[in-house]
Amino acid sequence: MILAFECDAENVAMCAPDDVSVLFEFHPIFESIPWLTRTHFLIVLAALLAIGLMYFGLRKRRLVPGKFQLVAESAFNFVDQGIAKDVIGKGGERYTPYLLSIFLFILFGNMFEVTPLVNFPVTSRMAIPAFLAIVTWFIFVIAGIAKQGLGYFGHLLWPPGVPVGLKPLVGIIEFISTIFVRPFSLAVRLFANLVAGHVMLSLLLGTAGIFVWGFIQGDLGFGKALTGGAWFILGVGIFVFEILVAFLQAYIFTLLSAVYIQTSVHPEH
Amino acid sequence: MDQAAAEALKGALAVIGYGLAAIGPGLGIGVLAGNAVQAMARQPEAAGMVRTTMFLGIAFTEALALIGFVLFFLA
Repeated sequence: MILAFECDAENVAMCAPDDVSVLFEFHPIFESIPWLTRTHFLIVLAALLAIGLMYFGLRKRRLVPGKFQLVAESAFNFVDQGIAKDVIGKGGERYTPYLLSIFLFILFGNMFEVTPLVNFPVTSRMAIPAFLAIVTWFIFVIAGIAKQGLGYFGHLLWPPGVPVGLKPLVGIIEFISTIFVRPFSLAVRLFANLVAGHVMLSLLLGTAGIFVWGFIQGDLGFGKALTGGAWFILGVGIFVFEILVAFLQAYIFTLLSAVYIQTSVHPEH
Repeated sequence: MDQAAAEALKGALAVIGYGLAAIGPGLGIGVLAGNAVQAMARQPEAAGMVRTTMFLGIAFTEALALIGFVLFFLA
């Protein structure tokens, strides 16, 4: 959103940033602490919000839940019933703590995109989805080895019922798809969705802001102001859609993590 | 070809590439969602299961378009 106000004032209407990374990289908050940027602050904030919701929501549990407890309980039930037990099946509740943590962390991280005055999804920095995907990768590989021993790698390479002649080909494809493509696509899916949303909102609302501001300053005509208004209406529509995307991507990341764990602990399916 | 023209051409090619990358997933998600709606209409009691499976399918199909989108920025 800030892209327009950093360039020279003579040519307000047409000013493109050099690079799209202007929208994603920030200067340190304090000059003396170079590692503390807005991104770092928001990561910690998302984690604290997730912990805080669960801690304060479930600290004093009552039979008739208050508002806070209701939210915390429905988030827990959504992940526990809808994802862990439904997808993983028997023994799924062991993975509920992990799934609930990543669900809440990603959800809060995504929701920063549509929070007024923050407007930056921390999950649009590749480090965070990549780290979460690597953690999921370790969990499903270790769960598979713990459950099936070294036979896990046999199952991983050759699903039951593969004819002998096809084994080399299927083995290579399955190995690449499980070990490399799974974590990569898991991370890229979350990252790219949030980047797309952030760029789209910045462009639409930023353009609307420049055009309307230029009209108020007297630099631009009334037609430009009307165009800016149209961009603004479209931007608000996308804004509402992004709330849905933020929730859906958190859900999909958690769901796919559960599916990957399920293929490790119940190889017969 | 001078530098500016090469840059402009690169940008235009990246846009075309992303457009091509979006065709397949677009068709795929359309087919997937359409069939999921049909399944839900025929068997409303299985709607929950169909919805979960539909989201899974959409997530896998969408990945190709998103990789195209990332390459579009890298280009």
